[in-house]
Amino acid sequence: MNAQDIIDSLMKSFTGTISNAEVVSDIRVSAYLDKEREESVKTVCQYLKDELGFDHLSNETAVDYIQKGEIEVIYHIASYDHPVLLTLKVRLPRDAPVIESIVPVYWNANWYEREIYELFGVKYTNHPDLRQLILPDDMLGDWPLRKDYEGFPNRTANNLV
Amino acid sequence: MAELKENVNENIFLGESDTDEIEHIPDVITTTSMAINEFLKKTKIQDVINWGRKNSLWFMTQPMGCCGVEMIATGCAHYDTDRFGIIPRNSPRHADVMIISGYVTIKYLPALKKLWEQMPSPKWIICMGDCSISGGPFYESYSTVQNIDKIFPVDVYIPGCPPRPEALLQGFIELQKKIMAKEDHGTDY
Repeated sequence: MNAQDIIDSLMKSFTGTISNAEVVSDIRVSAYLDKEREESVKTVCQYLKDELGFDHLSNETAVDYIQKGEIEVIYHIASYDHPVLLTLKVRLPRDAPVIESIVPVYWNANWYEREIYELFGVKYTNHPDLRQLILPDDMLGDWPLRKDYEGFPNRTANNLV
Repeated sequence: MAELKENVNENIFLGESDTDEIEHIPDVITTTSMAINEFLKKTKIQDVINWGRKNSLWFMTQPMGCCGVEMIATGCAHYDTDRFGIIPRNSPRHADVMIISGYVTIKYLPALKKLWEQMPSPKWIICMGDCSISGGPFYESYSTVQNIDKIFPVDVYIPGCPPRPEALLQGFIELQKKIMAKEDHGTDY
């Protein structure tokens, strides 16, 4: 299965949901998933896993675009059968980022989603155990990796100034 | 003994609750007072005690960052720290020196304090590397504790990112000099 076939299959199955699909190279494809449409990210991931052989969630992370007012959740999904790696991105509104959990499809997304929750404040619905991963209890709610976070303890070290 | 018991309340190393009862062991005189120590500090015997202390600086193997790798290298055979009496120990209850060898995060600070409280006195602290001195490359992070010298009584700072094992050895030797000069924070002169 090559990169172009994967994009064609995705566009055909989720018409109107997948946008900006792009073949970057022989082994890299990327696509955006519109959250407003009917299909959830879990449905797309289930299709990727069952039909297209993407059986390995390599990475899940998020980016805060403060000017555009949105948080992008990014999935890197790879396969043990073919060399293509898919970058799937979902745009979420910055004031209330809510997205469905993909733990039922990829079990290793559990801690990734807990980390994104504690650092960016993205709420995952249907997550089996949504609490902070390593952040101290009293820092939950600060969302430290958002661009407008101002809770840094010090600008410089006191004993150097 | 009556005079010694009067000083019991001034003892800072024991909890307040168990100062009332002194354990009675046959043929052994026991005390909870620091009066003997306070007396010895004013005599020449303290120099002999310090000579013994400076030649048995056992440090706790508690690597916290990449400086911990240099700490492990220092403890290996090539540098032979045993010639200075410096031996790595795995338990805080055996150790005399705690090396803060990396960035201290907000979440790790309570555990570090607990390790420090478990160490028997006299005890010393060496700050190894830029991270533990000032935060290092992580000085602006949301989770880094800076100015560790306001939390612990630090005796020696070893700058470097990370310092060479020779630098760590020199830090130990500087600590030995401080102990002999009675300028260390481990003993209250």
